[in-house]
Amino acid sequence: MRRLRPLARALAGAYRFLRRDKKAMAGSIILFILLVIAAFPNWFAPDNPAAENFRAGVGPSWHHLLGTTSLGQDVFSQLIVGTRQSVMIALIVGFFCTIMSVGIGVTAAYMGGLIDDSLSLLTDVILVIPTFPLIIVITAYVHGASFWLLVAVLVFTGWSYGARQLRVQALSLRNRDYLLAAKARGESSWYVITVELIPPMTSLIVANFLSAALYAVLAASALQFIGLGNINTESWGTMLYWAQSDEALQTGLPLWALAPGVAIAILGSALALLNYAFDEVSNPALRPVSEKKMKKRMRKMKAVA
Amino acid sequence: MRFLVRRLGFLLVALWAALTLNFFIPRLMPGNPAEAMMARFRGHVNPSALSALEAAFGIGKHQSLISAYFQYLGNTLHGNLGISISYFPIPVSTMIMRALPWSLGLVGLSTVIGFLVGTAVGAVSAWRRGGKLDAVLPPTFIVISAFPYFWVGLLAIRLFAVTLNWFPILGGYSETAVEMWSWSFVGDVLMHAILPAFTIVITSIGGWILTMRNNMITVVAEDYVKMARAKGLTPQRILWQYAGRNAMLPSLTGFAMSLGFVISGAILVEYVFNYPGLGFMLLQAVQNEDYPLMQALFLLITVAVLLAIFVSDIVTAVLDPRTRVRS
Amino acid sequence: MRNKFKGGLVATAFVLVASTGVMAIPAVVSSSSAGAATQVPLNLANEQGELWSCAFNPFVPTSSPYSVGLTYETLDFVDSLQSGKVTPWLASAYAWSNNNQTLTFTIRPGVKWSDGKPFSAADVAYTFNLLKKFPALDVNAVWSVLKSVAQKGSNQVVFNFSTPAVPYFYYVAGQVPIVPEHLWSKIKNPVTDAISNPVGTGGYIMSHCTPQNIQWTANANYWQKGKAVVQTVNMPAFLSNNTCNEYLATGQSQWGSQFIPDIKSYYVDKKAGNTYWFPPVANVSLFPNLKVAPLNNVAVREAISYAINRQDVSTKGEFGYEPPASQDGIVTPTFSSWTSSAAASKIGTGYDPAKAESVLKAAGYTKGSNGFFEKDGKEIKLSIITNGGYSDWVADIQIMAQELNKVGIDATPETPAANTFYADVYAGKYQLAYNAESGGPTPFYEMRQWLYSKNSAPIGTAASSNWERYDSPAVDTLLNSYDVTTSAATQKSIVSQLENVMVTQYPVIPILEEVDWFQYNSKEFSGYPTKTNPYAQPGLYNEPDWGYVLDNLKPLS
Repeated sequence: MRRLRPLARALAGAYRFLRRDKKAMAGSIILFILLVIAAFPNWFAPDNPAAENFRAGVGPSWHHLLGTTSLGQDVFSQLIVGTRQSVMIALIVGFFCTIMSVGIGVTAAYMGGLIDDSLSLLTDVILVIPTFPLIIVITAYVHGASFWLLVAVLVFTGWSYGARQLRVQALSLRNRDYLLAAKARGESSWYVITVELIPPMTSLIVANFLSAALYAVLAASALQFIGLGNINTESWGTMLYWAQSDEALQTGLPLWALAPGVAIAILGSALALLNYAFDEVSNPALRPVSEKKMKKRMRKMKAVA
Repeated sequence: MRFLVRRLGFLLVALWAALTLNFFIPRLMPGNPAEAMMARFRGHVNPSALSALEAAFGIGKHQSLISAYFQYLGNTLHGNLGISISYFPIPVSTMIMRALPWSLGLVGLSTVIGFLVGTAVGAVSAWRRGGKLDAVLPPTFIVISAFPYFWVGLLAIRLFAVTLNWFPILGGYSETAVEMWSWSFVGDVLMHAILPAFTIVITSIGGWILTMRNNMITVVAEDYVKMARAKGLTPQRILWQYAGRNAMLPSLTGFAMSLGFVISGAILVEYVFNYPGLGFMLLQAVQNEDYPLMQALFLLITVAVLLAIFVSDIVTAVLDPRTRVRS
Repeated sequence: MRNKFKGGLVATAFVLVASTGVMAIPAVVSSSSAGAATQVPLNLANEQGELWSCAFNPFVPTSSPYSVGLTYETLDFVDSLQSGKVTPWLASAYAWSNNNQTLTFTIRPGVKWSDGKPFSAADVAYTFNLLKKFPALDVNAVWSVLKSVAQKGSNQVVFNFSTPAVPYFYYVAGQVPIVPEHLWSKIKNPVTDAISNPVGTGGYIMSHCTPQNIQWTANANYWQKGKAVVQTVNMPAFLSNNTCNEYLATGQSQWGSQFIPDIKSYYVDKKAGNTYWFPPVANVSLFPNLKVAPLNNVAVREAISYAINRQDVSTKGEFGYEPPASQDGIVTPTFSSWTSSAAASKIGTGYDPAKAESVLKAAGYTKGSNGFFEKDGKEIKLSIITNGGYSDWVADIQIMAQELNKVGIDATPETPAANTFYADVYAGKYQLAYNAESGGPTPFYEMRQWLYSKNSAPIGTAASSNWERYDSPAVDTLLNSYDVTTSAATQKSIVSQLENVMVTQYPVIPILEEVDWFQYNSKEFSGYPTKTNPYAQPGLYNEPDWGYVLDNLKPLS
């Protein structure tokens, strides 16, 4: 229990902080809304997104808030239902990427020697593999890029960048006094890594998670946009693919092309804002100082001087 | 010195591993280039000509994978990259040399500009914390960098090129331009580069700003900066020569890395803006199963990224001696 | 400090933008002045998804579309839109003899190569023997049926066939470009030579090539007086459809071969004279894998054919541009004169979901509780694959899958990447594949590609056509009987019998008619092929047709 105290303290601080900081609030609210939509799309979507039952290519109206596609599908329903895939890809890929980055990067930095060399070699080789050709090769064998395949490829190609970053950070922390003290006390390597080395890196790790999530959203939608994803599924990336092939912008259906892009931007911004705010949680120096408190402090100093 | 040698050795091993992978990845793909060509030209090739095409591309003959592998390694070391299949019969090296300057030029320069401007803005906004600059710029650009790149590109084309007609719709230069070093050609190239460069810079600058800003804030809070201020050094000097130098470390390593990814990162830019660079060539090579071109492009990316990693490690070691110490 | 820094940044930015603006002005001026001097150039819109390689070798499929027809010409022009109507080109006359196993061409006098040297029958004989010497150049596989090609006298060339192959006239006379002996005999390896400066007899000479644009100029000494009037032609390279379509919409290109969604609002309404015509040329069909159950059961194939509302697929998936096809396999209206009334009346409209269900029931299938047909406990569960890179085909199979599901056949659409798709189709590793053959000047060509067993190959080996693995010795004999005759009546009767095969055995299920994409502005240039005068195929990717059309264009402004 005593070992978990630093972690618990950090989490409590995080919660208090989120309530205070505007950016963090905004990011969390947006993310929460998207999570709800992703979990229960049927509460929000008026129609079946795949049904081509409506008049094709109409503009926005009460029944179709964002109009219809050239095949006669409701754009708003597609947007709602597509939320799930994008949110899930962001969170799942972010999670696995972070686990792998932390595991490999920190271990390499702490262990040093041959382990460091071989893990770094692995990291660099994976880093070099081009994503697009890899996904084409893999989809060739599995006959279609399913959701989990996309997740697997994105995790596989995405963890190495974070691992390098974390390794560098861990390297510069490795020789700090409190770690040497812990080692001298006789604590195991495992304890030193998880309880003493990782917590100070929390902000970088969370930043890693959030940027991996952002990377996943943008990369997945880029792949789907070019047509390498599963064109049958409903996701924001495939909406953009169809809008692009049917030239939505040019044929008077701009909402069809704009909406998914804005949706991706909203999800991405939420992640980015949280990232921005999270840096301030573990690094008090980054926290914004309010004008009023500043002036009060200045007055106090002047009075003393 | 030992450090340098170790990193170099490391680089060579990684290079060999990546080359081997690059040899096998295309061969894992189903089908062969002749079938891909048949499919592309299904209007104009007599269906029974498949074997003639295979003969032309040298795929018909059966060579063991091992001997093909060693031949590939040998050829690569000699700089013989073969003849492209999708651009048959132009050699691969010719195709790459044509496109390379465009990718490097556009994406490379945009990355440099993004890095320089972003880092500077980040440093300044950290120095003047709470000021107007800090409140507006970082959050705005963070949000913009969350937009999907290709979407911003398409919107930019629609707005600035088609509706407002300020810039050309596509390409690296206009069709009727003659490729030579004259002011008019250079001007033409710049006009075509502005929109794609602008899109790259605004979507990537947010990252640079944030990284620099946060590191700068941490550094500024350190004791030695307070000491420098107490000693009476000018704020400029502290900002750029003391705090800035130390805060830049993660940004620099990130910058070195992103230079390595210039080519593969160029794919979307070139697709959306029709830019005559290597990124799109890579995508096409994969879709056309053009083995020689694919392998040459993979090689280029591999070398670029590994070199970038190497340089970034050296830079880290030079700037932060702590990373040089082994336990 | 702050002001100085910010000021510096702003100043740099200003200088950059200003110098760009200044430098751009000469570029704008020079390019416009170049155009204003002579006639307005013709700009083409042909998206190939790649930059130009600037190779012009007429025998290599990657470079031949950019030289065959405009720089290099063939012996005759064969019109695929008028059932193979022949117009003399480099050969002024031809004659079959010796039971249609010998073909003699009389070569036109007075023609010169673009480098000034005279053209003669020797060049024709040389060209064909070059193909024999380098089989990699023989992409039309003419030597699979030829025995010998030799010059006779000063102006004739005699082709001796090893086996009667009258349909090969299209390839021999209409597809093989004639090259100059005096230049090509000096080339060591014509297979790998890029031929960056092609010399031909044609109306257009390649004058300038960059990866972004190919420019041709009219041949001042062209042998056809009054043709090749348009002085300059540009073909810019486009990497994606959208940018290419923008060029058409803004009027920067005047002749295009593009798939344009909602063409009326996007293109036609933008400028007076913007027109389009999409002539149907071949079929896009569902190829059932005949070696796989339950597709080996003709009842299942018949049910599939009747279950699909082809008009619906056309309207929703292709904006109505591609007309519905007919199960008898004849592309109309292009080949309407070939339709057999017996076959057509058997099929009716081709859409009858009730009949689909009754056919399956008669074959012993019963509808399960989930609404899908099954027999002996096995449900009919099929996957339809198509080229993931063609978004309109993807839309088509999604619509078809929904319609099959409605009738009670469980169908799932799959869209693998292009190379995977073609590898699987050629090797027969699929259940239903949505694809198209290349076709030819009469319906026979496509049907032979579909049905001739020797085109096929065992499952697992790549077949160049007949992907469904259809094998019928009777049909093979029927197809071979077409090869020996030049009588139009006999040809039509053979095709009628093939149509009967299509509507009784359902070896291939045609869904839509593939069209040539073609849009142009009729007020800027005239002379294009039209519905009333379909003298050539108008797509910019058809060789030698588009060069032939180019020779006939005239500027109107």
